[in-house]
Amino acid sequence: MNYIWNFQDVFDNWWALAIGAAGTLRLFVVCLVLGMGLGLIIALGKRSRNRPVRWLSTAFVEFFRNTPVLVQILWFYYALPIIAPIEIGPFLAAILGISLNSAAYSAEIYRGGIQSIEPGQWEAARAIGMSGLQTLRRVILPQAIRRIIPALTNRGVEIFKMTTLASVVAYVELLQQGKLIASLNYNPLEVYTVIAAIFLIILYPIVRLTYALERHLARSD
Amino acid sequence: MYEWDFSPVLAEGGFLLVGFRNTLVLTATALSGGLVVGLLLAFARLSHRRWLKVPAGIVIEVFRTTPPLVQLFWFYFGLPIVLSIEMTPFLAASLTFMIQSGAFFAEIFRAGIVSIERGQWEAANAIGMTYNQCMRRVILPQAVKRMFPSMMERSIELMKTTTLVATVSYADLLFQANELAQKTFRPLEVFTVVALIYFVSISFISFIASRMERRFAKSGEFTP
Repeated sequence: MNYIWNFQDVFDNWWALAIGAAGTLRLFVVCLVLGMGLGLIIALGKRSRNRPVRWLSTAFVEFFRNTPVLVQILWFYYALPIIAPIEIGPFLAAILGISLNSAAYSAEIYRGGIQSIEPGQWEAARAIGMSGLQTLRRVILPQAIRRIIPALTNRGVEIFKMTTLASVVAYVELLQQGKLIASLNYNPLEVYTVIAAIFLIILYPIVRLTYALERHLARSD
Repeated sequence: MYEWDFSPVLAEGGFLLVGFRNTLVLTATALSGGLVVGLLLAFARLSHRRWLKVPAGIVIEVFRTTPPLVQLFWFYFGLPIVLSIEMTPFLAASLTFMIQSGAFFAEIFRAGIVSIERGQWEAANAIGMTYNQCMRRVILPQAVKRMFPSMMERSIELMKTTTLVATVSYADLLFQANELAQKTFRPLEVFTVVALIYFVSISFISFIASRMERRFAKSGEFTP
């Protein structure tokens, strides 16, 4: 129990951690945009009048929600290149796994948001001559998205946490760099404590913000 | 054109089965421990004693906001150094996932308990029940019913999270798949089969969960 903590080696390697942080951020931004964007398209697909579109969107959501994201990343990394005529590096495999997984989760959030808007609004928009797409864009989505902002922010936090899984396919991000530093300096305790602290410092304010948003929305509704 | 060939995978079916069993064992261990940790953390956080409330809050927030893989590495590579003990992948994973899912369960329990109207506490108090009696006989039975959907959802998340132990070489389903893919040179078939195994078992659990949810919703009162 009398282990003496020594953070010096971690701080001496701050540059390696900074490169890792840049990799984490890059992966996060791409997955956030793709995941949230694709999620909206799939949510609309689930509401489509076209049966195959509806069926495919549902199958997509069910499949990606009911398999572990790490299995998805490894499938894209090891299995997909065999049937697809493209090179799949760690970055692309991580993007595919995390974005598609997040798309499935955010699709359910959008769907809940759209469903929560009273049907009367659709009818009113139709009565003044708006098309379905116009109603969605101008009336329904602005209200629905306001209601689901806390849930979407939560999803964003989950995506940020998920980026660490890219280290399994050796994509250079925070945890991967941490592993490297720990193996060179034999200081896993300090390294992983610092990595955990970095995530906590970045994500905790966002989590608090989500709580505040939830309370604010609960009051205004 | 690639020719799919599942026969090497099927020939080694037993190898994957061992992994699947280990996944279930780890999930069950982490889940039962997680529920206990969650209940303790929820009570501690609802307590009026600051020395219970504050640490419970910190544990809950830290484990909810840091990535599970970082937690696992901390417990597997870091903790043995502080405690100077031997750490096994199974022990590290059980501890990590117990506390991690416990932190999430705690928030579910807390929300469920807080959602029961104050009047129920007052009524129980009026007929002479103590705090513990009221909690056990009046509040919890009702709260559990409300918490059930989120509890099931979290348990399913837990099962999916257990795949992370493959990174510290615990022989779960994903780890076995990785080994088998290297042995047979058939990663496409192996990872497809494993994804399907997860898909089928998790879909099955969600199906059972939604059936139970409907049963609870119909029954006026649920007694555990």
